[in-house]
Amino acid sequence: MKKANKIITIAIFIFLYIPMLVLIVGSFNEGKSLARFDGFTFEQYAELFRDPDLLALLGNSLIISILASLIATVFGTFSCVGINSLKPRMRNTVMSLTNIPMTNPDIVTGISLSLLFVFVGTKMLGQRNSLTFWTLLIAHITFDLPYVILNVMPKLQQMDRSLVDAAMDLGCTPIESFFKVTIHEIMPGIVAGAIMAFTMSLDDFVISYFVTGMDFVTLPVEIYSYTKKPIPPKIYAMFTLLFLLILVLMITMNLLQLKSEKKKARG
Amino acid sequence: MSKELIRLRDLTMEFDGERILDGINLYINDHEFLTLLGPSGCGKTTTLRIIGGFLTPTSGTVTFDGKRINDVPPYERQINTVFQRYALFPHLDVYDNIAFGLRVNKVPKDEIDRRVHEMLEVVSLKGYEHRRINNLSGGQQQRVAIARALVNRPKVLLLDEPLGALDLRLRKDMQNELKRIQQAMGITFIYVTHDQEEALSMSDTIVVMDKGRIQQIGKPEDIYNEPKNAFVADFIGESNILDGVMLSDYKVKFFGRVFDCVDKGFAPNEPVDVVIRPEDIDIVPPQQGHLVGTVTSVTFKGLNYDIIVEFKGFKWLIQTTDYHGEGSTIGIRLNPEDIHIMKKSEYSGMFGDYSSYSAEYDELTEDAGDEEE
Repeated sequence: MKKANKIITIAIFIFLYIPMLVLIVGSFNEGKSLARFDGFTFEQYAELFRDPDLLALLGNSLIISILASLIATVFGTFSCVGINSLKPRMRNTVMSLTNIPMTNPDIVTGISLSLLFVFVGTKMLGQRNSLTFWTLLIAHITFDLPYVILNVMPKLQQMDRSLVDAAMDLGCTPIESFFKVTIHEIMPGIVAGAIMAFTMSLDDFVISYFVTGMDFVTLPVEIYSYTKKPIPPKIYAMFTLLFLLILVLMITMNLLQLKSEKKKARG
Repeated sequence: MSKELIRLRDLTMEFDGERILDGINLYINDHEFLTLLGPSGCGKTTTLRIIGGFLTPTSGTVTFDGKRINDVPPYERQINTVFQRYALFPHLDVYDNIAFGLRVNKVPKDEIDRRVHEMLEVVSLKGYEHRRINNLSGGQQQRVAIARALVNRPKVLLLDEPLGALDLRLRKDMQNELKRIQQAMGITFIYVTHDQEEALSMSDTIVVMDKGRIQQIGKPEDIYNEPKNAFVADFIGESNILDGVMLSDYKVKFFGRVFDCVDKGFAPNEPVDVVIRPEDIDIVPPQQGHLVGTVTSVTFKGLNYDIIVEFKGFKWLIQTTDYHGEGSTIGIRLNPEDIHIMKKSEYSGMFGDYSSYSAEYDELTEDAGDEEE
């Protein structure tokens, strides 16, 4: 039984990671075809860093992801404080409402956001071109928010509520007590939420596709148009780098969680 | 006597239509050690939280130094609290925890340093400045919590069952320690506990509460010796409570016999509750006794034996240092000062009958067993 378990686990990991492996191997391949390994080279990476267009796209993606995840983290954390102080019934309702966008198909979210932006932009504000960097940013913040709340909320609920009482007892106003006490207690949740929001933003294609204009294109949106023609191998190199970035972020997140759990166990 | 510092007037508190406090009237003097004592759910913690500013009463007023403070938030009150589970800040070390209040109030740095070290000395934690909170024992955390509150030099310190999580030995030590600190610093302590022994040994004044109402206010001796009703008599120590009739001043009749007593001021032939403390009863040979009964159970308690004696179908608890075997017949004598008379109350008939004593005892040990598992 135990053996079977092990074999299945390994099989699942192979299925999950083989595509990544193919991509990584491909990024070091001298030839253009993925079917044959012609020899090891860093040429694709060099090629990638010589391509200003691609780097600009990557820059766009990073700008939007970082901005959106930071803003969503701030909004999300404060929303949690508000939601947490609601009466239980109201709190559950609000939590369900925040969770729905996560399960909502991206394409539905994308089209509805797009319709809203076009309506507000052209009909109400009279702009000719309503889809811009700003609509993209707003859309990203919108779908990042639930992930932040999902991560921060449990930390806030686990926190000993008398800590806030104690801070106020010692002279803190409610806002001071949030910054001097609460935020330290829920920090692991905030960091995890921010990282998750960042990764969600970075790889989003569907929603971005509908809400972004001509002037600001992110990497996934641009690469989508590549799939109609052969993908240049330097893209493999970029994906490998992105994969590594996400991997590092995820490992950091897990280590942080492990650390905070250890701290709890000791106390 | 010192002056009045806090007054609660007609305080009521309701949560979701449920009445937690029902007309609390109480004043607290400067430098007093006052204990709110009662079973869980009696409203003692709610009262404390209202004084601390964490709850706003549904009706009634709280005054501090003559000023109404109902709507003053906790951070503007000259009151500090030691919380039930200490509520120390885990991300700060001992020094920073104690310095927290001073830093919030922008006290100069060198003064903070001086006062924190002074406090560390008061609570005997010198050398622990840079320990993490999670690396301290329960007793040490308790001391940090007290230091963190006292370093702000509050007029009043609120303590919410601060010793509840400590083991018996440590609890006794901390009781003495708290009393010493209170006297040394001359601060008013308002202490919440359900432990009657703790209340009796530490307090200047005890407020006994039940069902959101104050049952009795008094000095520990008065509460013990002259309980106002059956609830107080039963909650503070063990009591045998019997139905009696007050024939006239200083004469009470129960078990078909007239006894001399020291109480007066009742209507002629008024039905009353008679309280007899188990340790006040003198055991004598049967022929010399006011009453004669049969021992039905004996429990060794270390200091004494708890024996249950049946008198005409009613069982009494008697504490004695001499052994009387099960089934033996004994007589008892009651001196006038051993008998305490109380007016009938809603609690009459609910307490003070030891007929089910042995069953109750078994239940208690069973519960203790469950907890250990």
